[in-house]
Amino acid sequence: MVKVYFLLAYEFLKIGVFALGGGYAALPFLFYMQTKYDWFTVEELTNMIAVSNITPGPIGINMATYTGYTTAGIIGSIIATTAIVFLPFIITIIIIKLFNKFKSCSYVNDIFVGLRPASCALLTSIGIQLLFQSIFYDKIKWSLPFQIDYKALLLFIILIIPFSFMKKNPILVIVAGAFGGILIKMI
Amino acid sequence: MNATLYEIFKIFFIIGIQLLGGGYVIVPLLQKYIVEDRKWLTEEELIDYYAMSQCIPGIIAGNIAILSGYKARKIPGAIAAITGIVMPSFFSILLLAHVLMNIVDYPVIQNAFWGIRISVIILILITIKDMWKKSVNSKFTYFVFFFILVSLFILPVSPAIIIVFSAILALIHSKITGGKTNG
Repeated sequence: MVKVYFLLAYEFLKIGVFALGGGYAALPFLFYMQTKYDWFTVEELTNMIAVSNITPGPIGINMATYTGYTTAGIIGSIIATTAIVFLPFIITIIIIKLFNKFKSCSYVNDIFVGLRPASCALLTSIGIQLLFQSIFYDKIKWSLPFQIDYKALLLFIILIIPFSFMKKNPILVIVAGAFGGILIKMI
Repeated sequence: MNATLYEIFKIFFIIGIQLLGGGYVIVPLLQKYIVEDRKWLTEEELIDYYAMSQCIPGIIAGNIAILSGYKARKIPGAIAAITGIVMPSFFSILLLAHVLMNIVDYPVIQNAFWGIRISVIILILITIKDMWKKSVNSKFTYFVFFFILVSLFILPVSPAIIIVFSAILALIHSKITGGKTNG
């Protein structure tokens, strides 16, 4: 168990430093964690993402608390939450002490020109994997012809059409998905 | 201006409760609670801090909290602010996780979560679209995006390695083009 605590701390310290650009930037790291350690299933992880979206607080913090809790209980949640903010805390304090005025971070901006598309590509790869896993085949086995989960495909189409035109509203998307899921499974 | 540590904690706790659906909504909240009501920051400082938070590693809302807390009461203030903003997350997740554990076996809840998994995919796709619009807009950024996407399918490596790799790539690129941000 102690080993799990250290691994959790290590993984979330890493997310704290490397997940740049909003709460969703942490998702590729969590999926990578899932394949590396088997602490939780992909289904559990998507459930945690959903809950983090409808809970108060920054999504990144919510995800850290939840994955820490699922992996190693309350102590795990304390470790993961502390770890994800620890290094940014140190870095922020150092930066504000060194440069009292840090207005134009032009050097950093140059780096971000490369980091943002990288973050976007990481998330895209997760999006494609999830889409295939939930609509085109069960579990994680490739078999041609694709087994299509028609109910999942139907719900996907019903949800994507209105929400791709609307301003991002996570709570509404999740509530609609929950009711859609209950209704479609009754058919 | 003379903020007590408890007050800093309390204000950021209240802000934390109101953060729903991403850290970006923190700016208007800080504007109200810290700039207008308590004058711990000037409006100009808030704009600076928001810009800084985006180029410092970490969660944007957390970074702004650290900067504002530091401005009010140095390091103890920063600790009070980050603790305050994390607490609502922490307790609401623990509570929900506990409740969910007890009801997750009901068929209705399982069906709801089956649907919610599709919702999560939709949310990820919408986020990708937003990120794409803001970030993929030049030859170099197209190259980074597709190069990384294709390599991830061939060889799944750690996201941390991808981030470090693309940072180095961007530095080399800015050296070659002379630091133009949209090169």
